[in-house]
Amino acid sequence: MDLTGGFGARSGGGGGPYREPIGLESLHLGDEFRQLATTTLTPDNAGGSFTALLELPPTQAVELLHFTDSSSSSQAAAATTGIGGGDIIITPPPPPPPPLHSFGGTTLTFPSNSALMERAARFSVIATEQQQNNGNNNNETPTSSVPSNSSDRVKTEPPETDSTMENQSLCPNQTNRSGKRKDFDKKVKSSTKKNKISEETEKLPYVHVRARRGQATDSHSLAERARREKINARMKLLQELVPGCDKIQGTALVLDEIINHVQSLQRQVEMLSMRLAAVNPRIDFNLDTILASENGSLMDGSFSGTAMQLAWPHQAIETEQSFHHRQLQPPPPPQQWPFDGLNQPVWGREEDQAHGNDHSNLMAVSENVMVGSANLHPNQVKMEL
Amino acid sequence: MSTYNMVKQEFIKKWITTLHMLDCSVEHPLNVTERKNAIKLSSDIAMAAARSGSTVWSRALISRSGNKTANKPVARRILKKARNRLKNRCLTLRRNGNFTAKSGVRKRTELLKSLVPGGELIKNKDYLIRETLDYIVYLRAQVDVMRTVAAVDSVTGNLTNDNK
Repeated sequence: MDLTGGFGARSGGGGGPYREPIGLESLHLGDEFRQLATTTLTPDNAGGSFTALLELPPTQAVELLHFTDSSSSSQAAAATTGIGGGDIIITPPPPPPPPLHSFGGTTLTFPSNSALMERAARFSVIATEQQQNNGNNNNETPTSSVPSNSSDRVKTEPPETDSTMENQSLCPNQTNRSGKRKDFDKKVKSSTKKNKISEETEKLPYVHVRARRGQATDSHSLAERARREKINARMKLLQELVPGCDKIQGTALVLDEIINHVQSLQRQVEMLSMRLAAVNPRIDFNLDTILASENGSLMDGSFSGTAMQLAWPHQAIETEQSFHHRQLQPPPPPQQWPFDGLNQPVWGREEDQAHGNDHSNLMAVSENVMVGSANLHPNQVKMEL
Repeated sequence: MSTYNMVKQEFIKKWITTLHMLDCSVEHPLNVTERKNAIKLSSDIAMAAARSGSTVWSRALISRSGNKTANKPVARRILKKARNRLKNRCLTLRRNGNFTAKSGVRKRTELLKSLVPGGELIKNKDYLIRETLDYIVYLRAQVDVMRTVAAVDSVTGNLTNDNK
């Protein structure tokens, strides 16, 4: 992945429109950065931390951005910001699809929806583990230092003096600017060693926010800006999670959609629980027996009302493959059930076969992965009770 | 897709447990409304217990459900189990009826706070959004599971009726 020159662009990554870093062309980030970026990226992706999820689109944007950047050499800072801003705003929309494919690969009817559910679920599940292990800060800040650090590179040549001045004003305020000071000092010394600078700042667990040209360099406003970028990043993820939110611009409308979505989900829960209550005389309505065979369909989403085997669970729950059988096996007349086309040919085959485990026919039916483990649980629970 | 499936399975496991417990504790017959409340309660508890971790909404949901089941000792047992795994914090939810928000975004965040359980206790907008994200994932899992169970149920209901 060619990331040269794109480092600055990674910054605004999760956020909304981000302006092109000034002096981008002067950042000839070489191999060091590339290594660094890949090492920061890959473990995060493996670990699945939240900000790493956000970083995927930025890196894709970076790729694209690099190609657009290399063409446009930035002579004047203002011109660059204008052009860069325009370029950058265009590029973000393409990046989101690639990360989705890189995650799941499974094609579903709503790929963006499910892949993002996946991401969000992974975030929620894994983030808690990480939080329990580390502590929130250690996870968030190293990764967040990357985007926010790269977010604004002040143009190095003219504002060197400015940087030292703001450096002095900032340093006494907060201790987490100390990393920045080293940064600035080094920049003052040599403008060619930006690789090392980026390395060092990457390793420090601080949130580095640089002031863009023409913006306030007050520590409060910098912190505010960092916070706002975080919020925007999360809003983006929410936008992708809630269906139909991508096209909407503006926080208020997106929040509207989210509120509607949450309300509709809650109302659905109400209605479904009413429905379940109406059907069954008992509260626990044979849930365990139903769900023993139901787990597969839950995963697919493609079966609706398959396999009800009421007297089922005690038999073949041993293997994953026999599970497939289970779904399609029940003796009671299948014709009444709303099967899709897939199941019916399998039915015919099923009747011919014995209880044996000839699964080759069935493997194509569903894409269950975790079925084996899932099968045991409901029955274990049932036996506990 | 596997993580979402994991979520659903966690929810299912917990739900089975809570349903059984509630069923044993309550005397039959119940009318529809009571049953519905029991089902909803059990599924809410199950959802929150499946997520029992560091989210505010799950803790808030559990504490809120605890108030509802004051007279059902078994449900409380469930809640105690879930609570033991959570950090010890007392969450009392107070509902504000009036939103005195000035701008559109502010108003909507207030509304969102009232929707997400425990949202009102979150000062930081950043965390609120994170909580909402998590809550939406789990709500969806709940809805999916309930929907398939309901579909299954209707089918089996038809079958048993036909067999009679």
